[in-house]
Amino acid sequence: MSDHHNETFISKYIFSIDHKMIAKQFLITGMFMGIVGMLMSILFRLQLSNPGESFAVLEWFLGDKWAPGGILDPNMYLSLVTMHGTILVFWVLTAGLTGTFANFLIPLQIGARDMASGFINMLSYWFFFAATVVLLISLFVETGPASAGWTIYPPLSALPQAIPGSGLGQDLWLIAMTLFVVSSLLGGLNYIVTILNLRTKGMSMSRLPLTMWALLIVAILGVLSFPVLLSAALLLIFDRSFGTSFYLSDIVIGGEALHHTGGSPILFEHLFWFLGHPEVYIILLPALGIVSEIISVNSRKPIFGYKAMVVSLMAIAFLSFIVWGHHMFITGMDPFLGSVFTFTTLLIAIPSAVKVFNYLATLWKASIRFTPAMLFAIGFVSTFITGGLTGLILGDSALDINVHDTYFVVGHFHIVMGLSAIYGMFAGVYHWFPKMYGRMMNKKLGYIHFWVTFISAYGVFFPMHFLGLAGLPRRYYTNSAFPMFDGLSDINEIITFFAILGGLVQLLFVFNFFYSIFKGTKATENPWGSNTLEWTTPIERIHGNWPGEIPSVHRWAYDYSKPGAEKDFIPQTEPLKEGETEH
Amino acid sequence: MNILIILVAFLVVATLVQLLRVGELLSEVKNQDVNKVTEKDNKNQSMIMTIVGILFLASCVWQYFSWVHLMLPGATSEHGVTIDNLMAFTMILIIVVFILLHIVLFYFIYKYRKAADNDVAYYYPHNNKLELIWTIAPTIVLTVVILYGLSVWDQITNADTSKSEVIEVYGKQFDWKARYPGEDKTLGSYNYKLVQGLNALGVDMDDETSLDDKVTRELHLVVDKPVLLKFRSQDIIHSAFLPHFRVQMNCVPGMSTQFAFTPTKTTSEMKDQEGEDFEYVLLCNKICGVAHYNMQMKVVVETQEKYDAWLAEQNTLSEKLLTQK
Amino acid sequence: MDINLKNNTSKQLLWIGMAGISMFFAGLTSAVIVRSAEHGWDKIVMPEWFWYSTAAIIMSSIFLIIAKMQVRKGISPTPYIVSSLILGLLFSYFQIMGWNQLTSEGRYFVGPGSNPASSFLYVITFAHLMHVLGGIISLLVTTIKSVQVKYTKENYLGIELTSIYWHFLDVLWVYLFIFLLVSLK
Repeated sequence: MSDHHNETFISKYIFSIDHKMIAKQFLITGMFMGIVGMLMSILFRLQLSNPGESFAVLEWFLGDKWAPGGILDPNMYLSLVTMHGTILVFWVLTAGLTGTFANFLIPLQIGARDMASGFINMLSYWFFFAATVVLLISLFVETGPASAGWTIYPPLSALPQAIPGSGLGQDLWLIAMTLFVVSSLLGGLNYIVTILNLRTKGMSMSRLPLTMWALLIVAILGVLSFPVLLSAALLLIFDRSFGTSFYLSDIVIGGEALHHTGGSPILFEHLFWFLGHPEVYIILLPALGIVSEIISVNSRKPIFGYKAMVVSLMAIAFLSFIVWGHHMFITGMDPFLGSVFTFTTLLIAIPSAVKVFNYLATLWKASIRFTPAMLFAIGFVSTFITGGLTGLILGDSALDINVHDTYFVVGHFHIVMGLSAIYGMFAGVYHWFPKMYGRMMNKKLGYIHFWVTFISAYGVFFPMHFLGLAGLPRRYYTNSAFPMFDGLSDINEIITFFAILGGLVQLLFVFNFFYSIFKGTKATENPWGSNTLEWTTPIERIHGNWPGEIPSVHRWAYDYSKPGAEKDFIPQTEPLKEGETEH
Repeated sequence: MNILIILVAFLVVATLVQLLRVGELLSEVKNQDVNKVTEKDNKNQSMIMTIVGILFLASCVWQYFSWVHLMLPGATSEHGVTIDNLMAFTMILIIVVFILLHIVLFYFIYKYRKAADNDVAYYYPHNNKLELIWTIAPTIVLTVVILYGLSVWDQITNADTSKSEVIEVYGKQFDWKARYPGEDKTLGSYNYKLVQGLNALGVDMDDETSLDDKVTRELHLVVDKPVLLKFRSQDIIHSAFLPHFRVQMNCVPGMSTQFAFTPTKTTSEMKDQEGEDFEYVLLCNKICGVAHYNMQMKVVVETQEKYDAWLAEQNTLSEKLLTQK
Repeated sequence: MDINLKNNTSKQLLWIGMAGISMFFAGLTSAVIVRSAEHGWDKIVMPEWFWYSTAAIIMSSIFLIIAKMQVRKGISPTPYIVSSLILGLLFSYFQIMGWNQLTSEGRYFVGPGSNPASSFLYVITFAHLMHVLGGIISLLVTTIKSVQVKYTKENYLGIELTSIYWHFLDVLWVYLFIFLLVSLK
């Protein structure tokens, strides 16, 4: 029995409480912000590879004030770098990734009509929307958007005299982030409660698809870590606007000795990274879950080691709370503390390695079908290996001394987040598009999108490791102030070239996405031959998801190519045959 | 001009739309689903993956050989050598794993593509023994990495500084100053409220030990002599990065941080090795504002005699601040 | 959604929300722990008013417990909810009086009379009061609904939810109060 009610345009598309619509709202907003954030990176990459050169496109986007004569203003450079990081980490890879797939998939994959509270879910999107508006407004203020890095360390982020972006731009950033965190928390509440309570008959926790496990754990991670960012931000707001000294002490700036005493900037770093580190796993884990699903379906094989995959997700999540100090090895912290964080950080490599081996084992003796989603899932495995391994260098405190805040780190985190997690997101969009919109995305465009992206992306970020080992610091407006970096300009040009190429091909994806919504070939109910519950819903998508009773579940989600079966997949709703055991 | 760009963009999109429609109509005529992934697709994509995979690994090798000469020269400090050894060890480890895993990945992709109707998958849901093996193996490897890494860290952070020359490095937007303790081998005390005019470091001139301190624009060090750098910041967080020595430490207003090391090669030795243009440098490595990219201090490592001569030329604080009124 | 399920999920949503709020205060209290270990941390005597407010909020929770007992017996809980609300408002008033007392003793939030210890004291009590405001709104809504006799002995979800949140604020306050007492000694 579906939930019929009179729908207006407003209640269907704007203030919807249907999880599927809310998911799309997150997706479209995330995609839009992704384009904005990516554009910012192209703008500053132009400056980095051709320092001091005039580019018409810079003036076109930034105007005469921030790109006079087509040359990027150094303060705006720092703003672009800051906003790029903020937008991609939070708006695209957190809200865009989790907001889309948790909202879309959770009720469908567990067999529920909708989330536990459609109202709270709707609020979660509108807080996100409000955060987006505030952040976008901050791009246009007189003194410029926030520019102290996405990590906003005080005192730089607390003192407008230190950098103009720390004026109104930083205030708006803090407001936007507060709204964003509230949105995330509201979403997370629903994801947890829905998965725990609204599973259909037979859907025990051990029959949950891995995507559900990943999203459940991510939601718990978020509830426990995002509020600490709020406390860090609250104290920063007080230091900025009320003159308290939580983070500030012994400062002379602009010729003036400030009154603040007794504060510690390192306190901010601890509070920030207590969220900051779990945050990157909040970004990674949904991608891990999505990729597990897609590799399995397109290999026509169960995901290898389901229990180990669940346990390793939990291990990564647990460990993510006790590694934050590896961002602070060179702050002068107690060396013993540094040792502890090295130890815990390197430990995280173990469950990560287990996951990689399990993916490879899934591909062994598989029957691989190369949908665009599968290509991105394979790309995920490659970039997760590459990016994860360089983490071993960064997590080792002694080695971090010479690579901290260099391009080595920039390469590492872009490969694990900007590549792995984004590939997970792309894979998810290609894979679930038929369920979201009832149509297929164009396959050829998908192939072109993947290959150009895969090659360009490695072209951008792999060379950065060499820049880092050459000692090149990050967040530098230009490398031309130091003769020791003169030899690196060729590498910078290669990076910018691939950045532009990779950036442009994303437009192909955006085109494919919107074209296919309206003109894509009509999808069948289960185009991929997948076992999970969402593929048993009708193509037209209705409130309440299933027209009649919600189906019951009799088996796990990974019976692909099971011996003795007629087809190479057995949906979760199929009862066990006589004498058949569950896996 | 802008209108032209918008028009071109519109035309590109329109063309793409038409191309796609033509493709779909053609497929309809041939009674095929344009978006169905066929065995031909599997063969093509897996072939491309193999080629791209090989090219990718080859490009990594090419990048290494093209750019290895651009990387920092071997460490010129005692602890730096141990760091470099640890780095080489860890790098070789991760490079080997990186290459092996990628070969396995690309090989599986090629071998197990569904190229024909009877390419069926093997139902193999788990194997606990394998899980154990590939949990224990990384654990053993990582234990070695951790123990090795921690021993190097311990060496660096627990260095014996009893015989070190203490020098203060002071960062502010956007330059660095060094302060030498003078004959009394003691740095005078300081207070940020005293920062004014020529007393850029806020040194307390009422403290007797401050009188013979010397504030300089360059950092000079004696080769093979241990030094303890103490860091302060005037305004915001900076980070003193001396990459050739493998030294980095944040400079935080309101606290004092430090790093101990021993330089092992003089600037002139490095000029012989790396070229006449070589200079040691101290750079800022924590975002600090508009000129963050140009906050540097020249570092010179020299013999004791040259160092003494240079230091003798520098004015003491009492000369600079108390006699010039 | 069946009524029991709705009740359970609503409560769980609230519990998880409260877990999030707890982490927010965990962040603030860890900041206190880290900072208080360093030099320049003043000793502050807790204003008397905070002792009175502690009593007020505990009593207000007790009234809510009685309210729940009453509604389960089919008796109108309105007088007890109202008492709880009044005590909640008193709590807020006493907190403000407490801040007044602090400033009159020369303990300020910012400026020359401030010290990290006093700044944290204000921030933590202020943050708690902001969450109490939410609780007061909740109590108001519950009062109105109780007056309209919307609660039955089978279904009094609103009272349950308000109570859970209010007890949480109570326990949170007691924890913060004791924590601050110890940290400011």
